[in-house]
Amino acid sequence: MTDARPASPRTTLTLRQRLSRADVKYSPYIYVAPFFILFGLVGLFPLLYTFVVSLNDWDLLSGPREWVGFENYATELADPWFWNSLFNTFSIFLLSAIPQLIAATFIAAVLDQNLRAKTFWRLSVLLPYVVTPAAVALIFSSIFSEDYGLVNNLLASIGIDPILWKHDTLAGHVAIATMVNWRWTGYNTLILLAAMQAVPTDLYESAALDGAGRVRRFMSITLPSIRPTFIFVVITATIGGLQIFTEPKLFDATTATPGGAYHQFETTTLYIWNMAFNQDRFGRAAAIAFILLVIIVLIGLVNYALSRGIASNETKAAKRRTARRLERHRAETAAPTAAENHLERLP
Amino acid sequence: MKLSRRTATAALSGTAVLALALTGCSGGDNGSSGDEEITLTVTTFGTMGLDGLYEQYEADHPNITIEATNIDTGGNALTDWKTKQASGGLPDVQAVEEGWLGSVMEVSDTFTDLRDYGADDIKDRWVDWKVEQATDPDGRIIGYGTDIGPEGLCYNGKLFEAAGLPSDRDSVAELFGGDSATWDKFFEVGKEYQAATGKAFYDQSGFLWNAFVNQQDEGYYKKDGSLNVEGNDTLKSFWLQLADAQQAGLSANQAQWDWGKGQAFIDGTFATFVCPGWMLGVVKGNTEAAGGDASSGWDFADVFPGGAANWGGSFLTVPTTSEHPKEAAELAAWLTDTQQQVASFQAAGTFPSVIAAQTDPGVTGESDLTAFFNDAPIGEILGSRAEGVVAQFKGPDDALIQEQVFGPSRTALDAGEADGETTWNQAIETLKQLIG
Repeated sequence: MTDARPASPRTTLTLRQRLSRADVKYSPYIYVAPFFILFGLVGLFPLLYTFVVSLNDWDLLSGPREWVGFENYATELADPWFWNSLFNTFSIFLLSAIPQLIAATFIAAVLDQNLRAKTFWRLSVLLPYVVTPAAVALIFSSIFSEDYGLVNNLLASIGIDPILWKHDTLAGHVAIATMVNWRWTGYNTLILLAAMQAVPTDLYESAALDGAGRVRRFMSITLPSIRPTFIFVVITATIGGLQIFTEPKLFDATTATPGGAYHQFETTTLYIWNMAFNQDRFGRAAAIAFILLVIIVLIGLVNYALSRGIASNETKAAKRRTARRLERHRAETAAPTAAENHLERLP
Repeated sequence: MKLSRRTATAALSGTAVLALALTGCSGGDNGSSGDEEITLTVTTFGTMGLDGLYEQYEADHPNITIEATNIDTGGNALTDWKTKQASGGLPDVQAVEEGWLGSVMEVSDTFTDLRDYGADDIKDRWVDWKVEQATDPDGRIIGYGTDIGPEGLCYNGKLFEAAGLPSDRDSVAELFGGDSATWDKFFEVGKEYQAATGKAFYDQSGFLWNAFVNQQDEGYYKKDGSLNVEGNDTLKSFWLQLADAQQAGLSANQAQWDWGKGQAFIDGTFATFVCPGWMLGVVKGNTEAAGGDASSGWDFADVFPGGAANWGGSFLTVPTTSEHPKEAAELAAWLTDTQQQVASFQAAGTFPSVIAAQTDPGVTGESDLTAFFNDAPIGEILGSRAEGVVAQFKGPDDALIQEQVFGPSRTALDAGEADGETTWNQAIETLKQLIG
C-alpha cells in the first residue's frame, strides 16, 4: 500500500505545483488588493491627513503654523456660523428628503400599473438625473430670480407678492430643495419601482378577491413589502442630503459669500469649502470636515438601528404568524371528528 | 466684488486650451540654453485678450511651446491658484488679479523676483503705481502689469435727457463736478434724477462702496498692516451716506453680476454705472444679452466722483516652482509689452498699464466698444481717468473683508432690510468673527 503512494508531496512538489498552490493561497489577496490600495490612497490617507491638519493652525497658502491640538474643534463648536450651516443642511435635507420620498413612492406606484409605453414613462422620470447638477442649478437659479424669474412672474400674475428666494432663509431652502427633488425623485422612483415589481401578484389578487380596494392594497401590501428598499433609499438620501454642495453654491453665484448673502443657505460642506479656500483656514476646515464625518456616522448608526428594529419587528411578526398557524393546525388535527362530522352533515 | 467677475459676460473665451497645468515642463533640462525644447504653461482667467498672442510668440521662438489654460472667472482663478499654491502644480506663468494681491504678498517669496531677469531695465514701461503694486515689502518685483482698471462713469444719455438733465458727455462731466467731482454731488444729482423720474439712479451700492474704499489713502488696512475698519469715521460716514441714498430710492437693489441677465440695462432700471475700463465690455455684453444695442443709450463720461480710482487689473507672475524661470520671465515681459497690450485692448477692452500703449492709436481709436458707447473716445477717457491713481496697500484679508464682511451688510442695506447704523455694526461684528 505504502509503496503505491507517491513520495511525500513536501519533497517532490514541482515548481508548477508550488505555483499553483501559491496561487490558491495568495491570489485572492492580490485580487482584493487593488481596492484596499486605492482605498488606502484616496480614502484612508486623506482621512488621516485631514485629521492631522485639523490639529494644526494651518494656513492654506503658507502651510502649517503651530500644533494647536483640539482648539480648532472647540472654535468651530462655538462658532455660530458652524451651527448656522448645520441648521441649513438639516433644513434643506428635510425639505428635500421627505417630499421627495413621498413623491417617488407615489410615482413608482403609478408606474407599477399597467401603462401604455411603460419604458417611455420610466425613462422620462430618470431624465432629470442625467442633467449635471451645475446645469440644474443655473436653470433653477434663473427660475427663482427675484426680479425677473419665472416663478415670481407667475406669482405676480395671480396677484401674489414676489417671494425673496435669494434673501429669505426658508424660501431659499425651499428653492434649493426643489432643485434637489427635481434631480433625485426620478432616481428614487426607479429603485422603489423595482422593489414594487418584486411583490408577488398573487398577494394583490387574493386581496382583491377579499374585497380590498386600491388604496387598501397599496397601504397594506405594497408599502410593507418594499420596506427594506425604502430603508435603503432613506439612507442613501440621508448621506447625499447631508453633503449638498453644488445646488446652494450655484443658486446665488453672484453673492460674495457662498451660500447666499447672509449665509442663509450655506450648507456645512459649503462652509468647509469657504473656510478652506476663501478664508484660507485649512486647519479649521479640516476640523469641520471631521465633525461632519462624526455627525454622518451617528446618523448612519441611528439608521442602522432603525432598520434593524424594523427588520426584527418583521421577523417577530412572521414568527407570530407561524405560531398562530401552527396552533390552528394543531387545533384542527386535534379535533378532526368535529370537523368531519360537520362536513358529513352538510349535504 | 474686487475679485472681478469681469468675465461674467465676456463669456466663453473658448479658445482656452484645457491643458492641465500639471503637465508641466519636460523634465531633465537644467541650465536652459537657446535651442532646447521648452514647454511653458500659462494660466490666465477671464478675457485677458492674450490668447491670440501665444502663436506669435511660438513662431518667434521655435523651441518654445506654450500650453495655455484660461479659467472662466477671476473668482475661480483665485480658488485654482490657492489650491495649487497649497498643493503644487503651479504653471510657469500665473496671472494674478489686483484683488488677490494681499494674499499673494503673504507668500511673495514663492514668486520669482523678476529683477533677476531684467525687471529693473523695463520697469519704466508701466505707470509707476502698477509697478509699486507688484513690489513686495522686500523690494522684490514679482509681477509684470497687464491691464489696469481706471474708473469712469457710465450713464444712460436717454434716461438723463428724459429726466431733464444734460445728456452729452462733457456736460455730464460738468454736472458731476468735472475734475473736482465729489460723492456728495453724485448723490445730489441722483436725488434730483429720482425726484424727476421716480426711478433708481445706480444699480446697487456695492460698486460705489468698492470705489470709495479704493480711493482712500488707506483702505481696509493701514500701511503698517493693521486693520483700518472699526472706528474709521471716513468709511462709516460714506456707508451712512449710501444708506441715506438707498432710503431716497437711489439704489435699484440689483443682483451684482446678474442684473436680470442684462434686462436692467435696457429697461431704465438705473441710469448710472461704475465703469472701470474692463467693465465697459461687461455693460455692452449685458445690454446685448438682453436684446439692447447702441441705441439703448449708454455713454461714458470722463468724470468720477471723489477723484481718480482704480478697480482691478492683473499681473503676470512666475512662481518659483517653474523649471524655466528665465524663459517664463521673458514670456511674461513680452506678453505685457506695448504692442501686446494694444492687441489685448482691442481683443478684450482691457486698458493698458504700459504708458506707451495708452496713447497708441490702437487704444485711442474707434472700435466696436466706442460705437456701442455713443462714439465716446473710450481710450482717451480711460487714459485721463488713470491720472492720479495711487496704489493702495492691500492686506492679506482685503478680498475677504470686501466680499464676506461688507458683502452681506451691503445686500441688507440695498434691500432696505436694515438701516445704515445696523448694517455697519453687523459688518464690524462679522469682521471680528472672521478676522478677529
